[in-house]
Amino acid sequence: MSGRQLKRKTTIKQSGDESDKIANSSYVTIINNSESKPVSTDVLGRNEFYQVIEIIKKLNLMDTIHDLIIKNVEKYVCNTVVVECWMCITGSNSEAENFQNFHKAMVTLYNYYLLLLSALLSQLPLDYKKSVRHFYEVGLKYEENRGTESSDELCSNCGSNSNCICAQYFYEANSILLELGLLEPLASQILTTTIYDYIENHVETTCKDRFDVSFLTPLQKWLEDVIIKWLRKIYTCDYSNKEISKFNKKLINFMYEIYTKVRINQLFGIIIEYPDSISALQDLKTCLSKTDLRPYLTRKLQKSMETRLLHTGVSTPDILTAYVATIRSMRVLDPSGLLLGTITQPIHQYLRSRDDTVRCVVSSLTEEGPSDLADELIKGEALQTDENTPSDDEEINWENWLPDPVDADPNKPLANNRRTSDIISMLVNVYGSRELFVNEYRTLLADRLLTSLTCDTEREIRYLELLKLRFGDAQLHYCEVMLKDIVDSKRITQNIKHDLSSSGENDIPISSMILSAQFWPAFKEEKCELHPNVDEQMKKYTACFETLKGNRTLYWKKHLGLVDLDIELPDRTMNLYSVTPIHATIILHFQDKSQWHLDELSRIMQVPPTVLRRKIGFWESQYLITQVSPDIFQLVEISAKGNLNVLREIIVEDESESAMASTQDQREEELQTFWSYVTGMLMNLDSLPLERIHQVLKMFAFQGPTTECSLQELKHFLDRKVREHQLVYSNGYYKLPKS
Amino acid sequence: MKVIIKNWTGVATWKWIANDDNCGICRMPFDGCCPDCKLPGDDCPLVWGECSHCFHMHCIMKWLQSQQVNQQCPMCRQEWKFNNK
Repeated sequence: MSGRQLKRKTTIKQSGDESDKIANSSYVTIINNSESKPVSTDVLGRNEFYQVIEIIKKLNLMDTIHDLIIKNVEKYVCNTVVVECWMCITGSNSEAENFQNFHKAMVTLYNYYLLLLSALLSQLPLDYKKSVRHFYEVGLKYEENRGTESSDELCSNCGSNSNCICAQYFYEANSILLELGLLEPLASQILTTTIYDYIENHVETTCKDRFDVSFLTPLQKWLEDVIIKWLRKIYTCDYSNKEISKFNKKLINFMYEIYTKVRINQLFGIIIEYPDSISALQDLKTCLSKTDLRPYLTRKLQKSMETRLLHTGVSTPDILTAYVATIRSMRVLDPSGLLLGTITQPIHQYLRSRDDTVRCVVSSLTEEGPSDLADELIKGEALQTDENTPSDDEEINWENWLPDPVDADPNKPLANNRRTSDIISMLVNVYGSRELFVNEYRTLLADRLLTSLTCDTEREIRYLELLKLRFGDAQLHYCEVMLKDIVDSKRITQNIKHDLSSSGENDIPISSMILSAQFWPAFKEEKCELHPNVDEQMKKYTACFETLKGNRTLYWKKHLGLVDLDIELPDRTMNLYSVTPIHATIILHFQDKSQWHLDELSRIMQVPPTVLRRKIGFWESQYLITQVSPDIFQLVEISAKGNLNVLREIIVEDESESAMASTQDQREEELQTFWSYVTGMLMNLDSLPLERIHQVLKMFAFQGPTTECSLQELKHFLDRKVREHQLVYSNGYYKLPKS
Repeated sequence: MKVIIKNWTGVATWKWIANDDNCGICRMPFDGCCPDCKLPGDDCPLVWGECSHCFHMHCIMKWLQSQQVNQQCPMCRQEWKFNNK
């Protein structure tokens, strides 16, 4: 039947008024058909149907047809659905019947509603989520820009400028959803994820690389002003205030978590920029108390420390700087010191594996460097005095007492707060021994005093006093004597110079540093004979000293010291400051005789030729001496311009040599002193195990401030002696070889 | 060429001119100081006896004070007399 009717319709299409009516009837038929027997429509009929639709499209009749359909749907609803509902209500007078009827009517109505809803939802397009999401994202953007948008800015969505009505559209669509009750099933989940993503995005972009501003309050305000307000607008009347505020809490919590994570990921950078990033740390501290991300923080930070700090590419001073910054920032983050302990553990271990740690710590303590440990040292004074009256302090601050963090191990009581906050003692404890630290300080001090005679003793004394507060007088007594030596020798030199000049024997002005050998670290021994003139003068100086201080004499360390000299040449005068005695002696020898053979000079100065050649290099770089033929050096009085190019290539020797024996050499010497004990022991007792030797040495030999030797080190030492055939080792016992 | 030395700062260590390295009483080096002292040299001088033995001044004084009867050199048991050479 339907096929025929359709055909009819196509034939009558042009007949003006009538066409409406016919089309109408045909569509009614189609609707009726699909309702009564939707499955049984034959293939032919369906094809024809689509053909008809094609034709209708071609004829531009879509709108008319559409209107017709809507009209019919309306009619269907009016004639069938509504009637069916209200039919249930009969004009009965019985209360029970009316009650029943009304219920029945509503159920019928609801069934139709469900039908509609299920039809709608069952045909959800696959990417409806994307569409809904974009819709809400745009809406959220409007909400955020509402306050800030200037009139001439283009709408990012529709591209028009001032009179953009997208926002209006958004709220309109939204209220339709709400009214239809579709907001919850269709959009709520997407809405939530959208908001979460939006918050995450916002937090990440706002907090990127800015550590000097606290973001917590602005973020919270933003959340309140933008997100919550927007939510209220979306749900207008549907949601009660209570539910919104519940969601609000959830969102705040979420924001805290995101913010904490962002900050934790930036934590390494925050630590490095410590004093400037204090607000970021404060934020993080607040956040940590609201979230449970402490383990995450520990893990993350340790990881970034490992990848960014604790590898060979980073210099020790940099690690120390970072370490100090870590201590300070952790102090802000967690006053209980628990985090600090866990975080710094790997740094400790790593620093221990580096040779130059102590040296770096000491030099950063005494020099004004980037890690400003010197300030810390001065601050330490106050700390130390605090410790005398701990009880008062604690009583005053009892209100600030905080319980230990939950992840603290109750079996291990937390270290004293004061201790953990003291950076210097933490640094010194990296190595576990004060002695080592003090020794290193002593060597560095000696070096500074001897290589730069202009050394500011006042400053050194101040530092020494500060260090004494921390390490005690006994440890630093040696250093005190060293500084006193320097001050004394200035006075003595003054005296002697006066004596010498009054007797008119002062052609080479000599000053001296007179040291108390017992209190200085071992010097690097080098042999060197000075120029006879200088030697002569030194003897006079010694004689003067002997008369000044009865029964005492001087032993010169001839290779140490500094010389200021002028060299007058026919065409120029050179002023040289702080050359070493060896250099000065060389040039003095060349003054006497303008050409020297290397071996000859080496014999006179008693300096090995290799060393001497290196030292002559210094004068070659000054264009004063040149090598005319192998091993023969000639003084150049007038610098020939042509030679300069050649001469320039001579490498200037590295002058930054320490005057002190290296720690390794010193250690070697110390161990050597034990050797005599060991041989004595073995001579008497025949054979001994390692532990026993160590015990005995501990009893007799390990005395004095510097001599201490671990079992491991002793074993190492004895094993070397075994290799050198000075000992025999069998069955765990050491023996002297039978000679 | 003429080299004019404006100043030559040498480094030297001082030493007591004595016939021994260590004090016979405290067994500490002469160039150090006696156990009661902190600073060597002028603050903790040596003294010589007529018997040619020498000690830290503080050490021998303490020794002499502890000897009620006759004051002897702890090394050679001769009567102790300061050698004011």
